[in-house]
Amino acid sequence: MAVIRKIEIRHFRGIASLDWCPSVGINCLIGPGDSCKTTILDAIDLCLSARRNLTLNDSDFHNLNVATPITISITVGALGDNLKNLESYGLYLRGFDPKTGDLHDEPDTGLETVLTLRLTVAADLEPSWTLVSDRAEQQGQSRGLGWTDRASMSPTRLGAYADQNLSWGRASILNKISDETIAASTALADLARNARNAFGQQAEAGLPKALATVQTTAIELGVPVGGAVKAMLDAQSVSFSGGTISLHGEDGVPLKSLGLGSKRLLIAGLQRAAAATTPIVLVDEIEHGLEPHRVIRLIDALGAKEAKPPLQTFLTSHSPVAVRELSANQLYVVRSNGTSHLVHRASDSGDVQGTIRLSPDALLARSVLVCEGATEIGLIRGIDQFRATTGAASLTACGAAIVDGGGENVFKRARAFQLLGYRTAVLHDSDKIPTPDVKAAFEADGSPTFAWQENCSTEEELFLSLSDSAALALLENAVLRRSDKTIDDQIRSACAAKHSLASFRANLTTEARAILGLASKAKHSGWYKSISDMEVVARDIVAPDMQNCAAPLKTTIAGVFKWITDGSR
Amino acid sequence: MAADDIDLLNIQRGLVIAPAGCGKTQLIVNALTRHRGSKPVLVLTHTNAGVAALRIRLEKANVPSSAYRLSTIDGFAIRLVRTFPATSQITEAQLAAERPPYREIRVAACNILKTPRIHDVLAATYTRLFVDEYQDCSSWQHGIVYYLSHVLPTCVLGDQLQAIFGFGDDALADWNKHVGGHFPLVAELKTPWRWINAGAKELGDWVLDARTKLLSGQKIDLRSAPEPVEWIELDGSNNDYSKQLKAGNTKSPVQDGRVLIIADSTQPAKQQRLASQLQGAIVVEAVDLRDLVSFAKSLDIYKPDAVSRVATFAAKLMTGTEPDQLLRRLETIRAGRSRTEVSAVEQAAIDFAATPTYGGVARMLAELNAEVGVRVHRPLVLRACLRALNACDEPGAPTFREAAVRAREQNRMVGRSVPRRGVGSTLLLKGLEAEVCVIVEGHDLNAKNLYVAITRGSVKLVICSRTPILPAI
Repeated sequence: MAVIRKIEIRHFRGIASLDWCPSVGINCLIGPGDSCKTTILDAIDLCLSARRNLTLNDSDFHNLNVATPITISITVGALGDNLKNLESYGLYLRGFDPKTGDLHDEPDTGLETVLTLRLTVAADLEPSWTLVSDRAEQQGQSRGLGWTDRASMSPTRLGAYADQNLSWGRASILNKISDETIAASTALADLARNARNAFGQQAEAGLPKALATVQTTAIELGVPVGGAVKAMLDAQSVSFSGGTISLHGEDGVPLKSLGLGSKRLLIAGLQRAAAATTPIVLVDEIEHGLEPHRVIRLIDALGAKEAKPPLQTFLTSHSPVAVRELSANQLYVVRSNGTSHLVHRASDSGDVQGTIRLSPDALLARSVLVCEGATEIGLIRGIDQFRATTGAASLTACGAAIVDGGGENVFKRARAFQLLGYRTAVLHDSDKIPTPDVKAAFEADGSPTFAWQENCSTEEELFLSLSDSAALALLENAVLRRSDKTIDDQIRSACAAKHSLASFRANLTTEARAILGLASKAKHSGWYKSISDMEVVARDIVAPDMQNCAAPLKTTIAGVFKWITDGSR
Repeated sequence: MAADDIDLLNIQRGLVIAPAGCGKTQLIVNALTRHRGSKPVLVLTHTNAGVAALRIRLEKANVPSSAYRLSTIDGFAIRLVRTFPATSQITEAQLAAERPPYREIRVAACNILKTPRIHDVLAATYTRLFVDEYQDCSSWQHGIVYYLSHVLPTCVLGDQLQAIFGFGDDALADWNKHVGGHFPLVAELKTPWRWINAGAKELGDWVLDARTKLLSGQKIDLRSAPEPVEWIELDGSNNDYSKQLKAGNTKSPVQDGRVLIIADSTQPAKQQRLASQLQGAIVVEAVDLRDLVSFAKSLDIYKPDAVSRVATFAAKLMTGTEPDQLLRRLETIRAGRSRTEVSAVEQAAIDFAATPTYGGVARMLAELNAEVGVRVHRPLVLRACLRALNACDEPGAPTFREAAVRAREQNRMVGRSVPRRGVGSTLLLKGLEAEVCVIVEGHDLNAKNLYVAITRGSVKLVICSRTPILPAI
């Protein structure tokens, strides 16, 4: 059954231009807000839905420029026999090259036979749906899809409002899960007649004056009303259609009054049952109204884990739960390069599955800062918290996410995000450089790396660069969380017992700072190795000292935050 | 195997040999009547007349039109090359030509079909393929069917002894090598239904027996034929023509029976003369309506010879008109020497000469037709001519030549009906059947033409020939 092979959007809302070849199963569109994910879903909906008309307005044109028409071209493959019919669509059948995503005007060996349906809306706002074929155009011919054929590929949309699917109305999914028809039309008509009879002339008692005036006027003017004028139920307003019949629970409560999440889950399940006839589903904000475990249920219901996908699904999501549940070849990152939009499949950027599982929320951000480990994450978070109290824009406000680089993997992870098209930067220790080749590639592609002065770990950098008072505060913080004795022992072992905690407290020499840096990063007993410990230190001690500390620390931190703030523009 | 036992819908790839009059068309009708399913059977044949005849049979049998798609092989080929112009490399201009390059079109269609590029499309559109009159397939037409048979279950029907058509630059496919080599023989029809239904089984059996003999190169002896076969001996003398005329006037032994008269294929003029001289006979025309088109090409109504050309043309279509006499009369009238009243024809001719219009030509022809003693023996050409003339006078109308070509094309699409008494040749009468068939020059027919000729009459056969042993060439 019909599967979307290629989507080409021009001049529609935020999208100037977009070409995308989706896959047969789940296509989950992710990316920061305003990256036009929903616009893509809308485009599919507008182009393929069996509608006779659309209400579009000037704001649907890119940049409000109505001089260039909106075109949405969707190429559909896996055509059923009705759509591949030589006599009805022969002149419009095209060839799709699955390897390159290219379209050829005529079918050929090695190409898939496809049809391209194009929605065009020009300044007059009149939509037209036509099949694309260069040769038909040359022969002066043009046609759209037959109504039945359009209905057969019309997608179902699970939007915020999906109640229409719970009654037997025209566009309801209920009509697609079986061929049965409601044999109640006679009963419904009788019902309407009975209602009119039962109601009778009850209204009349309250309207004697009005009725009398109408009657007198009619008689005066010679309008034939046949005697007395009556007030009865209007025959046209008492009529029932299929949409009047809807689903109810055993207790008679309409299913429309279920919670939003339950309704969406139920309708997704029904869509699955109707997959044979309508295999394309559009889901806005899959997490909408659902608890995490139900998001997972819904994703499963759409066939995300099945080897042979039953449905072609287009999702948008801002939920880390959804992202984590899907595999990298089901995730598509949407981004704009200024002139056009690009949709990039996550799995095309090498092995990013692990990175996605570990930091799904980062995939939803605009900028990704990959930090080497917990210490660096805590440092940036703490400073960010302090900055926020001074009125600066926070990390989240700037659309930035912090990802744990996992020590030696820091550049590999950063490279994955970079290849996915994210604005990426790295903050790492300078005591040793892991995977220098990946670092080189990462920097060669234009992403910045931030580090401390040569051979310095983060702790060493802090103890070297902070002002005396802040460096001492840092030391006292460690003492507070451990004890005088523990810290004193660690200092002594770091300098062959030449100095002690007491001597440093008295005189914080440059040598003392170096020894403290060394002692503080001791293996297994480091002073600031957890995110939360470092976060507190950074917020309360490091950040307030930014004005006073030495250049290496100051410039690196300033660079990181400038990069973060730049990303919000 | 009896015709009733053959189910064309069960044949994956095969040939049904169908001698004339043995229920071939009924076999197709029966199969299509039984056909169920959402996709139609593609039914191809050779001529537009064949398509029209088959369509009439199917409609009479109430076969739903959704069960089949009927086309000529060339019509189907044109559809393919037009649908995929880049692949076929055939341009719209080529297709629109007065004489489209059929051979190139067939080659292009083969090229489209021989790779799998649209095999899925064909399988999605049709459920299977029947091809009628397969003996008339040219090499490239056979190529088209050959490639189609790789996608669609295909049954071809035909009779090699009826292969009397030639296709110019595209030779007939070799029956044994190409046709038999790809389509295994599934059945051969053996019941002479046409004659049985007409109450002349004896004649039918003789015709089938004659077929067997002709096929193996033997001769048939008219003297040992059963009673419905009458041999009229010709001797090559001047008496022959009166014998042939007499034969042509043979009455049908059954009420309202029709008579087909088969004359020399190579001499249309002879056929036309015969028709003009036989009471109630008309000419069975070739689909190209050559006389009409050449008349349309040569007529310039503004030239002084226009009246003469119209009168001469009319004389070709009607018996009893005297163009020379008419022209002399017109001269006399123009000179003011006429002593008799001006006839309606003469008036129409004078009016036309004064104000040349195509309507004037039409009126002249109509008045000629209306004269006492005039009989139209080529009504098809006259009707097509009047239709073309009527389309020509309005502003923006086509030229007479264009209108004539259009009338010809229109005529191609209509099925041919059998007249009460029609004169033609084996080529023209193949596919038509009557109660009586008169063969004017039996000794001039080769085995295939002879077979086609003797299968045209269902009740009676009259054969004029210099020898009773046929074929004589």
